[in-house]
Amino acid sequence: MSAPVAIVEARGVGKVYPMPAGPVEALRDVSLTVAPGEYVAISGPSGCGKSTLLHLLGCVDTPTAGSLLFEGHPVRAMGEEERSRIRLRRIGFVFQRFYLLPMLTAWENVELVQSEAGMPAAERRARTRELLEYVGLGERAGHRPSQLSGGEMQRVAIARALANRPGLLLADEPTGELDDETGEQIGDLFDRVNADGTALVIVTHNPALAARARRRLAMRSGRLAAPSVVAGS
Amino acid sequence: MIASLRRLFLVLALVASARAAGAAAGASDPPPDILVSRGLMRERGLSVGQIVMLSADARGAGARPFRIAGVYEPTPDPSRFTAKRLEARMHLPDLLGLTADPGEAGAVDAVGAINIGLKDPADAGAFARELAARAPAVSVVPTAAGGDEHFVIIERFHMAISVVTMIGSTAFLLALMVIRADERREIAGLLRLLGLRRRRILLQALLEGLCIATAGAVFGVMFAAATQGAVNAFFQWRYDTTLVFVRVTPAIAARCVALALPLGVMAGLLASWTLLRRPVLDLLRR
Ligand SMILES: Nc1ncnc2c1ncn2[C@@H]1O[C@H](COP(=O)(O)OP(=O)(O)O)[C@@H](O)[C@H]1O
Ligand SMILES: [Mg+2]
Repeated sequence: MSAPVAIVEARGVGKVYPMPAGPVEALRDVSLTVAPGEYVAISGPSGCGKSTLLHLLGCVDTPTAGSLLFEGHPVRAMGEEERSRIRLRRIGFVFQRFYLLPMLTAWENVELVQSEAGMPAAERRARTRELLEYVGLGERAGHRPSQLSGGEMQRVAIARALANRPGLLLADEPTGELDDETGEQIGDLFDRVNADGTALVIVTHNPALAARARRRLAMRSGRLAAPSVVAGS
Repeated sequence: MIASLRRLFLVLALVASARAAGAAAGASDPPPDILVSRGLMRERGLSVGQIVMLSADARGAGARPFRIAGVYEPTPDPSRFTAKRLEARMHLPDLLGLTADPGEAGAVDAVGAINIGLKDPADAGAFARELAARAPAVSVVPTAAGGDEHFVIIERFHMAISVVTMIGSTAFLLALMVIRADERREIAGLLRLLGLRRRRILLQALLEGLCIATAGAVFGVMFAAATQGAVNAFFQWRYDTTLVFVRVTPAIAARCVALALPLGVMAGLLASWTLLRRPVLDLLRR
């Protein structure tokens, strides 16, 4: 049996932002492979390039150097439409500021990406109900983000990220706006998501959250500083 | 009688020179009949049947008696609706007799403009050409509307008001759409990050633009229709005219909606398109 194709593989990628005051080198020669079902945490000081790396892994942006493969396909060769399709179907995103659509209810936020992916209505309803119960918000389906607490909004965001059964979930400082106890609950939820088979890459300042990952990476000045620390196995 | 008077009339602007002359009657011939404008009638407290002295001279030289046969409402004139219409209408021979007074033969002609009502308004062009050829010093301009009805609506006047209104509302609509689009910058960025296609986001913007434009146009027409009576009444009172300032006809309403809908949709699309062309991360950055 051949080794499973990596979900995403970065080979010597770099990212330079051309700026009026001169180019900003946000990433330098970063190589990273995320296998299906992995649990990776990336930590590092502010401005070291963590979000930039996450955006590349998530096919939101493209590298200016090196190569990036998503499920074996070179991202550089893809157009915006193709990357958009991958983001919709293969990747879930979770952000520090939740980024829910304020005019939609929790239910509608979770359903939107499914309808965009063309899922039939009956299946969509079942999936949305299942997901809201999965994150413990079955009773809050009709509530808008403004009627939810930070932790609840983040759980809706996680339900939305999982809606189209992605192989990879990317989270950028997911507990950055939550208190410790709520952060713990979100951490528990991530553990469960990973145990159910979704690969996770979490960028975080929160040592307790980083400690949950089986693989912890440190970043500094646009580079992955230390070789991967593999916990457990 | 009024009808026969109207057939051949001239309007002579006799500002402030009409004087009551009740006792002056008693000459051999009865004085000729004139019509007096409603404004002059009220301003000087005149009444039908009264004999007045009219003169072409501001100091009253060479005044002649006339009998007020009736009142008329001057045809509203959009180019000078702020002026008081102190006017009288008389037969042409009487006008000539009044202005050709030998004692004032050298005086400057006090008549600045003469409106000539033709039996057939279609003759206006030919009449103007012929008169201009014969009297090169006179500028002859046919008015747009033919008849001498009281409620002549001068197309150009209404068109000017409509154009100004439409340009104003268009600018407003565009600004609104751009502001809305910018408010939604982050949402547009998020939708694209989540993988929604641009086409779908544009479609959403199109539908929203259509809804806003429809609501705006319907509200605008309804508002104009509901307030036109009050607006007209106010300005007619303010300028003492029968001029119609605002008139929302089905044709104008239809034109307004026909213009507003595509405009609203285009404004929405344009505003969204400028957003969607930008990179996803630019939209999400604060
Ligand atoms: N769009 C951009 N244009 C210019 N510079 C950027 C842009 N995005 C990020 N950067 C710069 O790249 C570096 C890394 O940013 P980022 O990946 O956001 O860091 P982190 O998430 O680790 O705080 C920073 O110096 C930042 O200023
Ligand atoms: Mg960051």
